[in-house]
Amino acid sequence: MDEARTQRIALNRIKGKTLAWFSKPANVILLVFLLLLAALTLYPLLSLLTETVTVHAGREARAAKQAVGDLTFYHFQRLFATQENEYSLIQFYEPFRNTLLVSLSASMIAILFGGTVAFLVMRTNLKYVKFVSAVFTFPYIMPSWTLALFWENFFKNVNIGLKTSNGIMAAVFGVYMPEWFVYGGFPIALVLGLHYAPYAFILIGTMLRNMDASLEEAAMILRTRRLRIIRCITLPVVRPAIMSTFLLVFASSMSAYSVPVFLGSPVRFYMLSTKMKSLIDSYPGQAYIIASVMILLGIVILLLNQRVTSSRKHFTTVTGKSRQISRIDLGRANYPLAILLVIVLLLVAVTPLLTFAMESVIIKAGDYTPGNMTLDFWIGTNLTERLDQGDSTGILLNPKVWNALGYSLGLAALSAFVAGTCGILVGYGVAKRRGSRLANVVNALSFFPYLMPSLAFGAIYLAMSSRIPWLRGFLLLALVGSVKYMPFSSRSGLNAMLQLSGEIEEAAVITGVPWWKRMLRVVFPIQKSSFLSGYLMPMVSCMRELSLFVLLVPTSNTILTTMLMQYSEKGWAQFGNAINLLIIIVVLLVNFIVNKLTGASIDKGVGG
Amino acid sequence: MPEIFLKNVSKHFGRVVAVDRLDLQILSNAFVTLLGPSGCGKTTILRMIAGLETPTEGRITIGNKVVFDSDHGINLPPNKRDVGFLFQNYALWPHMTVYQNIAFGLENLKWSKNDIRSRIEELLAMLRIDQFENRYPSELSGGQQQRVAIARTLAPGPKVLFMDEPLSNLDAKLRMEMRAELKRLHRDTDSTIVYVTHDQQEAMTLSTMVCIIEKGQLQQYAPPLPMYNNPANLFVADFLGNPAMNFIDGHLTGDGVLSFAGLQARFSAFNAVTLGERDVTVGIRPEYVRIEKDGALEATVYSTLPSGMETTVKLEVNGVSLTSVVFGDVDFQVDRKVRFSFNKATVLFDRESGRTIARGALTLL
Amino acid sequence: MKKILSLVLSLTMLLCAVPAFADVAADVEAGQSMTHDALVEKALAESGPFVVYGNTSRIETAAEAFGELYGIPYEPNNLKDQEIYEKLRYVNGNDAADMVMIQDGAQLTDAIDEGLVVNFVPASVQDALSESDQQPALVHQYINKLFIYNNLGDDVPAIRNVWELTAPEMKGNVIFKNPENEKVNMNFLVMCTKDEWADRLAEAYLDWKGEEIDLGGYANAGYKWVAEFLDNVTFGKSDTSIAEEVSQETAAGKIGLFVLSKLRSSSVLTDNLTVAEYDAVANGYAVEPFAGFMYPMYTMVNTRATRPYTAMLFIEYLMSQEGFQPWGKNIGAYSSNPSFAVNEGDLTIDVWKDVLVVEDADYILESFDVEDFILQHCQN
Repeated sequence: MDEARTQRIALNRIKGKTLAWFSKPANVILLVFLLLLAALTLYPLLSLLTETVTVHAGREARAAKQAVGDLTFYHFQRLFATQENEYSLIQFYEPFRNTLLVSLSASMIAILFGGTVAFLVMRTNLKYVKFVSAVFTFPYIMPSWTLALFWENFFKNVNIGLKTSNGIMAAVFGVYMPEWFVYGGFPIALVLGLHYAPYAFILIGTMLRNMDASLEEAAMILRTRRLRIIRCITLPVVRPAIMSTFLLVFASSMSAYSVPVFLGSPVRFYMLSTKMKSLIDSYPGQAYIIASVMILLGIVILLLNQRVTSSRKHFTTVTGKSRQISRIDLGRANYPLAILLVIVLLLVAVTPLLTFAMESVIIKAGDYTPGNMTLDFWIGTNLTERLDQGDSTGILLNPKVWNALGYSLGLAALSAFVAGTCGILVGYGVAKRRGSRLANVVNALSFFPYLMPSLAFGAIYLAMSSRIPWLRGFLLLALVGSVKYMPFSSRSGLNAMLQLSGEIEEAAVITGVPWWKRMLRVVFPIQKSSFLSGYLMPMVSCMRELSLFVLLVPTSNTILTTMLMQYSEKGWAQFGNAINLLIIIVVLLVNFIVNKLTGASIDKGVGG
Repeated sequence: MPEIFLKNVSKHFGRVVAVDRLDLQILSNAFVTLLGPSGCGKTTILRMIAGLETPTEGRITIGNKVVFDSDHGINLPPNKRDVGFLFQNYALWPHMTVYQNIAFGLENLKWSKNDIRSRIEELLAMLRIDQFENRYPSELSGGQQQRVAIARTLAPGPKVLFMDEPLSNLDAKLRMEMRAELKRLHRDTDSTIVYVTHDQQEAMTLSTMVCIIEKGQLQQYAPPLPMYNNPANLFVADFLGNPAMNFIDGHLTGDGVLSFAGLQARFSAFNAVTLGERDVTVGIRPEYVRIEKDGALEATVYSTLPSGMETTVKLEVNGVSLTSVVFGDVDFQVDRKVRFSFNKATVLFDRESGRTIARGALTLL
Repeated sequence: MKKILSLVLSLTMLLCAVPAFADVAADVEAGQSMTHDALVEKALAESGPFVVYGNTSRIETAAEAFGELYGIPYEPNNLKDQEIYEKLRYVNGNDAADMVMIQDGAQLTDAIDEGLVVNFVPASVQDALSESDQQPALVHQYINKLFIYNNLGDDVPAIRNVWELTAPEMKGNVIFKNPENEKVNMNFLVMCTKDEWADRLAEAYLDWKGEEIDLGGYANAGYKWVAEFLDNVTFGKSDTSIAEEVSQETAAGKIGLFVLSKLRSSSVLTDNLTVAEYDAVANGYAVEPFAGFMYPMYTMVNTRATRPYTAMLFIEYLMSQEGFQPWGKNIGAYSSNPSFAVNEGDLTIDVWKDVLVVEDADYILESFDVEDFILQHCQN
């Protein structure tokens, strides 16, 4: 009798506890996302790992001399330990070393360039700050390979690379750059570094803006030299932002494909991403091993990052006072510095746009006389007959372009909506249950897609979709876009939620406002601009994404970037350049409109 | 010779005037408090003296050194002014241990390792935080962080110390404790301290001179007790003292008869002044409103706040509310009638300008 | 509880159900013997979008004309060959291609074995085409990549012998697409090591040097040529950009190995280019032992096609004069149907077959170690 009672009580307690646990929205959200993210990120990862030990049909089965579908370690043995013809060295070790070098250098360049500019903008009385911060995000909006193409076309000359033609630098200024400057590891790292420098600018800039100025003032009072203050106080305090930048840039650079192909091919410089792509068709097992290695590298850096940022040395110094930041007076160096910066930005952010515009109106390459110029590639008709090239109408009159633009915008908008909303929810859940194991796991999972190389991510989802009949077309693309770019949103969502005092929501809880209403009416409006920025970042990234979608698009005319790639492949450079410009203009326009309407902007998207 | 001297110092943030043509003399070894409501410009003044903020115009000297002079284009950076600064939020460097935080400034001065160690040990012992030497700031409580910040500020032995609301982030008990320590510190280190606070009690209890500021303008600069008794204007009178002074609107006739709260009284000033007929505000300190059996006036008890040591009583007289402080553990019943009298000093302020007219005694008519 | 369980079960089934393919192979079997009119009737009865994969841009023009002819809307998909095989493997349902136009015979052989594609030979061409162009896969056309050089300046590399490309002074003057990025290039290099071509390379060496070839460590003359050729090569991005670059005024002394049809592109300065073999023929000789290489472009029906009869009809159309027009109007593409006339100034397919290396899928499939050898020389 007694025993039954104790049992009943114990049962009731468990029941009560469970009910209480589930009555908290944060718990439910975390649980739902745990399952969802496990399915959407862990499952692809697991299937990727399975692929590394499976025999695939075709050449691979023939080479391995094993039956299709068998378990095998052939791929590992072949990729890591084949000395004949230096196979492993060529296919893995050298590209691995190159990838490490390029990704490290790109991260350094992004941090140094973006961080320095962020410091100048946030902490000094530099001139032209508005221009600098506005233009700084341009390179991120452009597909990274367009910058590579620009680099090559600008600096190439007859002494290097293909040794066939002169770019603007040689043709106009008579300056012949050395080969290492134009092709190979250095320019690849530089282009990627410049492309991702906005991450550094945004993350480090936000940290600098929010950093308690009295930390530096305290050092100043204690008779510390300026440089020592920067080295011993400022840098260590913004180290978490530097580490985050490092992680983002490293992971992105590692999986970049087009840039190494454009700037590496002529000097036979290969990276893991290029090897993965050339292997994925004939020897998928080895390609997936390379993808796994890249993911592993990402995880190592992620762990490193967590060690640095979550150690006891770090604590947020939120203060009410000392908000008047003492800006460093650059004195006489101000104008030279500002002008130099403006010139550099014009060069890397504005000139490419101008060259795209220019290249989209000339008929024969290399001839920049007015007689060789036409707007036909934008608004012309009957082009096939008149120029024997390309589509019959200019891109703005081509319904296919408008369809693709609509599809791209729709895809970007839906992905951004899903990623952004999920990001806010994850941010909410993680912030409310901060420090719990569940929150940590969900937080890590939501960041994971970022570490997956786009190409492998696309390939895995393609394979997954073949088993799920309804997962195709727009839905598939939107799902992949949402998952891949959720890290941006969950980061900014978490940051926004951490800034929000819990009491604000609790005040609504007390009056019995249901959860969804609290989110919509209280939480969201307060952090509107942060949250919206969390929507904007996936939007921008989706608009200019290629390698993630290239395998998944139903047709090559589906989205603008594949259409652009197709035009480039066909050699219809003018159409390609025009479309590229169109993409950039559309993204800038979207950013501008959202910014004007809501105050959100890309620069708040990463840092919050 | 004055240790710190401000002449005609102004600070504008765009169109906003944060500090308006301030003259201030801070004597050597003084403990001067800059007191005022938040946003009055007191922190700006402190930061200008320290060199963290550049005045729009004026001249500042510390010791014999001109550290700022807008006319001569002089502006010494903070590291050349030889001062110490204690920040409101302590500004401890999160990535350095307690030891490293304190050693940092000494390293800048090229002290030897041994000297640094012995100096830090001395400070840690003095502030009773020696066991935290190797901890990071995030691992310390607010009070401990405060002590570390003090140690860091004191380490190079600055002769001038600036403190920006250093106690505002501490709880009440700790704040009391630290007040005593700061006063002791002032004595022991033999330094000049300029201290910013919005807490009048802190200012009263700590300083040798109080400087009250409102809207960027100096209201009064005097030792605390004389200022309490002889406020220069209504603002100062209101700001000092807790509970605050009673202010009652009244009218003064040319022959010195004061009518207020339905009463008539004769006002006899302590000093010889010409009063003149005008609208006035009568200021009476709560401790001078004495509740006593044979008091001349009658009031209704509106509410009482007994604290053990004293009781603050709100009274109502002819529709005017008065605050009284009664010492000892007494209490009164609400809505009962009590008798009271005005004792001793009353201050008359000009209603229009708020300036003090005179201090004097009231005799009921 | 039971309800939930059954719901979950049915959901899982919905999620994971593998769509049942129509038996495309059987349809193709049936289509093989159908008349044109019967094919049209069957094709028009099919529904859904008609999707075509191809790595030649001109398939779009052909599909457009075909669509107009029969009133069937099409969805072309221009992909690189690697992407085509990846998509053949995984895409099904309406998005899946019905018909593919594909290169790389070695991969295709594997794809047929894997059951990804099925061969369809229209009755209309069964008599006209040689047997090897019908089985195991229907060849629509041949495409050739030729040695084409810049004809400006004093050092015009008007080669008569491919060994000239291995001379030290040619280092950096030879431009080719990276064989890793396009398999037909790899196939060509692999073919050079086959006995047949290795022997001819050895003979050519004798012609060139006047002495017997010293193989050193190489297994045959083919390996030696491939290695030394690759040592001198600079890799370009794509055939289009190689054609553009070699045609530049500033590119005197450069020679490329790229698709002849790129000469049609308006961005290429065609006047500055000379096709080595044209020049050789005009002067009464030939480039020894080959003037480049040639590879077939196949047309296949996807086994996951939702419109198999439309695919067959389209293949029939492509094999016609009209259907070949998008390619045939320019030089550099040669129908497998010998009765089609070639463009003026171009050589016939029979002549090309003699002077160009043509891929042999069987040899390539058994020679992956040769690919490793080639990769090694692409690196250093």
